[in-house]
Amino acid sequence: MSRTTATQIRRGLTLPVLLLVVWEVASHAGLVDPRFLPPLERLAGTAWREATEGRLLGDLAASLARDLVGFAIGTVLGLGFGTLLGVSRGAERLLGPIFHAAKQVAVLAWIPIISVWFGFAETAKIVFVALAAFIPVALNTHEGVRSASVQLVEVGRALRFSRWQIVRRIFLPSAAPAILTGVHLALIYAWLATVAAEYFMTVGPGIGGLIIAGRERFQMDLVMLGVVILGCVGFALNQGAAAVEARVLRWRGA
Amino acid sequence: MIAARSSWRIILAALLAAFALAVPSLARAEPLTIRIGFASIGVDNRPFAGGDTLAVAHAEGYVQRALQADPDVKVEWYFFKGAGPAVNEAIANGQLDFALQGDLPSIIGRASGLKTKILAATGAHAPTYLAVAEGSSIKGVKDLRGRKVSIFRGTNNHLAVVKILAANGLTERDLQVLNMDTATTNAALASRDIEAAFGNFPLISLAEQKKAAIVYSTKGDDRGLERQCALLVTEAFERAHPDLVAKVVKALVEAARWSSDETNRDALIAVWAKSGTPASVFRYDLADQDLRYRNAPIVDPFFVEQYRVQAKQAKAFGLIRRDVDVTGWFEPRYVDQAVRELGLERYWERFGPDGKPLGS
Amino acid sequence: MSLLAFAPPRSGDFTAALRIRLRHAALGLLVPLTLVLVWALASAQGWLPEQILPAPSFVWQNLCDMAASGELAQHAGISAIRVAAGFAVGAGLGLLLGIAIGLSRPVEDYVRPLFTAVAQVPTIGWIPLLMLFLGIGETLKIVVIAKAAFFPMVVNTAAGIRNIPVSYKEVAAVLRLTRWQSLRRLVLPGALPPIFTGVRYSLTKAWTALVAVELLASAEGLGYLLVWSRQMFWLDTMLAAMLIIGLVGYVMDAMLAAAETRLQAWRIDA
Repeated sequence: MSRTTATQIRRGLTLPVLLLVVWEVASHAGLVDPRFLPPLERLAGTAWREATEGRLLGDLAASLARDLVGFAIGTVLGLGFGTLLGVSRGAERLLGPIFHAAKQVAVLAWIPIISVWFGFAETAKIVFVALAAFIPVALNTHEGVRSASVQLVEVGRALRFSRWQIVRRIFLPSAAPAILTGVHLALIYAWLATVAAEYFMTVGPGIGGLIIAGRERFQMDLVMLGVVILGCVGFALNQGAAAVEARVLRWRGA
Repeated sequence: MIAARSSWRIILAALLAAFALAVPSLARAEPLTIRIGFASIGVDNRPFAGGDTLAVAHAEGYVQRALQADPDVKVEWYFFKGAGPAVNEAIANGQLDFALQGDLPSIIGRASGLKTKILAATGAHAPTYLAVAEGSSIKGVKDLRGRKVSIFRGTNNHLAVVKILAANGLTERDLQVLNMDTATTNAALASRDIEAAFGNFPLISLAEQKKAAIVYSTKGDDRGLERQCALLVTEAFERAHPDLVAKVVKALVEAARWSSDETNRDALIAVWAKSGTPASVFRYDLADQDLRYRNAPIVDPFFVEQYRVQAKQAKAFGLIRRDVDVTGWFEPRYVDQAVRELGLERYWERFGPDGKPLGS
Repeated sequence: MSLLAFAPPRSGDFTAALRIRLRHAALGLLVPLTLVLVWALASAQGWLPEQILPAPSFVWQNLCDMAASGELAQHAGISAIRVAAGFAVGAGLGLLLGIAIGLSRPVEDYVRPLFTAVAQVPTIGWIPLLMLFLGIGETLKIVVIAKAAFFPMVVNTAAGIRNIPVSYKEVAAVLRLTRWQSLRRLVLPGALPPIFTGVRYSLTKAWTALVAVELLASAEGLGYLLVWSRQMFWLDTMLAAMLIIGLVGYVMDAMLAAAETRLQAWRIDA
């Protein structure tokens, strides 16, 4: 069973290529309603048209901006909250239970109340994205900081570190892998939340809005284009986060 | 210990600062902005409304002109895909000063404690339609039992629908009701995901494209089924800027005067068609209706009585949980003043609570 | 081991432990209780407009009314059936594909890239597309939930099987077990804990997907209750629905976490 990279690539491409060929043949031979499965060249045409003449780039920029701003706010808050819970037993006992209870509410169920509290402007969407990012960061930071070794803290005490120095020099570095996992998850959740906000909150530019509009007008090509873009952005964010994670952890190890 | 306490504070302060960033600042910018919201949006989210007189005041620049003398005052228009319910959320957040809303949503808002005043009518006596998928076996309201029907809940169609169903011995529970906004309803009816839909003029658009058929309309049925729309202002804005309220209402009355003129029927329809709904749809919607009757801005005893009755019915049908008292809700001072200033006292007929013309 | 666990602790230890636990529980309840008190006070004093946050008594009353009228049970029941069906389909297929990938490199090579590509799009992104294909009936809901449950199941099952120590395989070789025997006796039991983690993730994802799909297209269920109360501006019902969604999520997760702990313990015992 030889397994070279070449075989791997060949095997990996088999299914996607097969699928695309079947799709193309089916839509041309009239086996399926082209309204449901538009031929690939039409999809490419739509993508090109939307990118050059349409508002695709504007939509993408709007979604990404929303995503990153919400992600940044949620991550900062999550780091703060998670650290607080991790370093202070009192805070953990006071705030931990309510946080663990609140995180069980499926994040989408917050949309109505956030809309009521923050209204129709961009704020509501960003608050929602921030909330989605906050939860995994807070959770993982808490775990990471709490499990930072007690001996290390003893060392810190012996070196007469202040509490702040203990947090910065001991807790944070040893909690880094968990925190990074949280941040990575937050990036994924924030992107999901961005799409959800664009679906369920007021209309505005964005990829989610593009998909909804495509569905309302029964333009399958537009919907598919939106889905592909969602996937590409998700993939890019994922890869970026993984690269950063690897680099930070290597630096820590050095 | 001191170090511990200060680190606590730093963390707490950071949290608070970040939270403050996330909370919207309610302060208004120096040059005053009047924020007016429509409980509707054009086709494909075009920023235009159709079917009411405020849409004319917006599209034809009546409000802008009325505020020309106030260079510091800006007007912003908002269009809500989420219709009346979304407008209520925006009012609750202090994001709107004026709003055009149908009767039920504004009653729901009042029941929930929103502080508003009703200033003028923007389109009374509007009809509600029942559309079914093309070729459907549903021939009338009675056939809806057990069927998948979309209703845009919480909008002013909703109460009309509940009353139509009751008149046919049905309740919402006898149907599979899906809550859908206007655009989603149109898509779902065309793709036959739902079997029928209640709504207003966009359904006619679908019927014209042969994607649906209208099997029932409140036109010619009981007048109690008609829907009303009104211009509302928040109490806070009215208290702070009565002069601006007067100007906006006067602009609306001028637009209503133009919209009530039968010679402008085609022009009016053309203005409304800016919302993307074809002119033919509005022509159908307005057919057999006197423009002066439909577009009267005045707050007469009939109009007030309609809201009073609707509030009672909304409570009786369980759409609101508390009694809504309409006394003190209407503020007809501005519309009366505008009508006087424009010399239109006799232009629109006033009706009594019983729907009969009031003797002048 | 189990004998030890069930041996009654000395009473002094017991009360001390109980006291500590109670104190922790009281501390944990302090903040929520204070919040509810402040909330109630703010509502009573009119500091918080009810269109922003209705009084807790309203929310509670509403919850009781809905429970008494059977409305709550009806919505929750429908949601539960949808999750159960979608989860069963998604997790079942996920388990099969996960086993196949875990056992066979060629299968992994064929499937992995397509799988990864599809997994990049969040479940919520697929909903409009599936709505065009499947309409908005029950099929849509089951498919969306199944899709959400499928992916974590595949990933965890495959990883679980892949990570089985080589020694197990050597044992299988020594014992001359058939492929089927080694699968049943060694591979699956060995991979059980990660598979169970997959189940837990799958169920959480299925629950979130349920809320998403019920928010977008539904005539009943807890997600619909949320949309509907938002439309009617019934904030008390909305908060009650949120509470129930959270509670169900919590109970489900707690039960699975407990089962997971048990499973680990059983494995160590065995």
